[in-house]
Amino acid sequence: MNHLKEKIFFAILGIPVLICLAAILWIILILSTGISTLRWELLTTSVLQGGIFEMVIGTLYLLIGAVGVATPIGVLAAIYLVEYSSKGRFARIIDQALNNMAGVPSIVVGLFGYTFFSRLLGLGISMAAGWLTLMLMILPIIVRGTEEALKMIPSSFKEAALALGASRWRAIHSVVLPAAAPGIITNILLGMARVAGETAAILFTSCVLVTRGLPKSPLEPVMALAFNLFVKITVLGESSERVFGIAIVLFLIVVSIAAAAIVLRIYYRRKQPWLR
Amino acid sequence: MKPIMRKLIFIHKSLREEPIILILFLCASSSIIFISLMFGFLTMEGAQAFFTFGINFLIGRTWETNANLYGALPLIYGSLMVVSGALVIAVPLGVAAAIFIVEVLPFTFRDLVKSLIELLASIPSIIYGFIGLVFLAPQIASFFRIPSGTVALTASILLAMMSIPTIIGVSGEIISSVPKEYREAALALGATKLQTIKTVVIPVSKSGILASIMLGFGRAIGETVAVLMVAGNIAIIPEPPWNFLSPVYPITAVIAMQMGEAAVGSLEYSALFGLGLILFTITFIVNTLADVIVRRESKFKGGVKR
Repeated sequence: MNHLKEKIFFAILGIPVLICLAAILWIILILSTGISTLRWELLTTSVLQGGIFEMVIGTLYLLIGAVGVATPIGVLAAIYLVEYSSKGRFARIIDQALNNMAGVPSIVVGLFGYTFFSRLLGLGISMAAGWLTLMLMILPIIVRGTEEALKMIPSSFKEAALALGASRWRAIHSVVLPAAAPGIITNILLGMARVAGETAAILFTSCVLVTRGLPKSPLEPVMALAFNLFVKITVLGESSERVFGIAIVLFLIVVSIAAAAIVLRIYYRRKQPWLR
Repeated sequence: MKPIMRKLIFIHKSLREEPIILILFLCASSSIIFISLMFGFLTMEGAQAFFTFGINFLIGRTWETNANLYGALPLIYGSLMVVSGALVIAVPLGVAAAIFIVEVLPFTFRDLVKSLIELLASIPSIIYGFIGLVFLAPQIASFFRIPSGTVALTASILLAMMSIPTIIGVSGEIISSVPKEYREAALALGATKLQTIKTVVIPVSKSGILASIMLGFGRAIGETVAVLMVAGNIAIIPEPPWNFLSPVYPITAVIAMQMGEAAVGSLEYSALFGLGLILFTITFIVNTLADVIVRRESKFKGGVKR
């Protein structure tokens, strides 16, 4: 009797999981109704001729630039926090600041990016301003992820290097860091997935609806999938085939980055026994 | 400030051995610098609105760009309404799902289901907004027989979909961090699995789950694009206040919609930064509280485990 009750209760608990899985299916089903719009020419023809080429490349430019700025800062910060900082009040303040940074709404990050990077630093509406703004959003993810990856490396790795006469920094960058690299890369990818579809943060800082060709320097504005989708739907009220195409391409980019991160993590957890 | 001074002296000493430490230190402090810069600039740009309207910026009931009148109460109310609606849906579902995944689901499926939910979390909000506007809103309109489906309820449902993965992720982590000995002790005393969950796992992870709800709240109140597309965007307090079939205009949506046309330095511009400051403050408080809860919790658990 008790056993049956338990079974029923567990089954009820399982319903929300099914709802989540159904939601994924639902989203994929809706998007797949527009899959006929997805042709290879759409990706390779210019916006001026009805394609979305500049948007795709612009999105990738923004992503790569933002990660390029955030990765060195984030990884070095995490090394300091894990290997050098004395776990005192200072470390706690940094910890708190990181958590709060991760929680700042993206639209507020966008406002700040506009006043600080675009206006005060004079970058204007440009790709560089977008990189720096998006960097603010990725940074906490990369620091947290790198911290976790570094903590998983057994201290015997570092001790072995130190015993051979390496300095602390040497031991970290030539032994600990390579061992932690897969974990760090996973988190960089997760950070990329988080900002690939980000709209609010780049709304005022780096995007325009149409550019003539690709941006030639970081100080030029850029086109992005998310921004174009946003403006086309809300401002122009457009719901043409191209809108569907943009949505599907954006979805595929984001989901494949996230999936790559997840697969990489599972693969390395199996391969490196000390990570368990 | 004292520990920072001590830190600087320590760094100065160790610089001779490892110059790299200064760079590492600067990178680590960047989060403090950025968060202070954000606060400083939002305050600076928003000051004009606060000086012009005083407390009425927070409690005024009219937000009218044409009349240059900025009272943020309907917007704050709109945000809170949409988010609380979302949490009412998302919290029970999310927590139940987290318990199911950690406690019930066989180990072989766990990684797969967790990964799928992580994928759900990675879907950009603009995609949710698109789906909400094109598919969910018409459904809501025809179900409740209202002329337009872009109302608070639609925004709440969409937000719930978006915050469930966060809640599952964080509370799942909390639940699986309950020490194994606790569970084994209960099972050894003859408790069933269900009884163990009810009397040991949930009470122990209660405050952690609370923290995950607060994080979900912070995430949801800052959500912009999806909410903007389906909330209706009319700056009113619904009549009656719990009428979820009325359009609302959440804070984030106002900023995104009006920022493009606000002239730099105008009162409207400043009012939008004032809204940004309000949002920043709300999320700052919520995140700090969640942090305090988690920290106290881990201290308590550490104390028990020794």
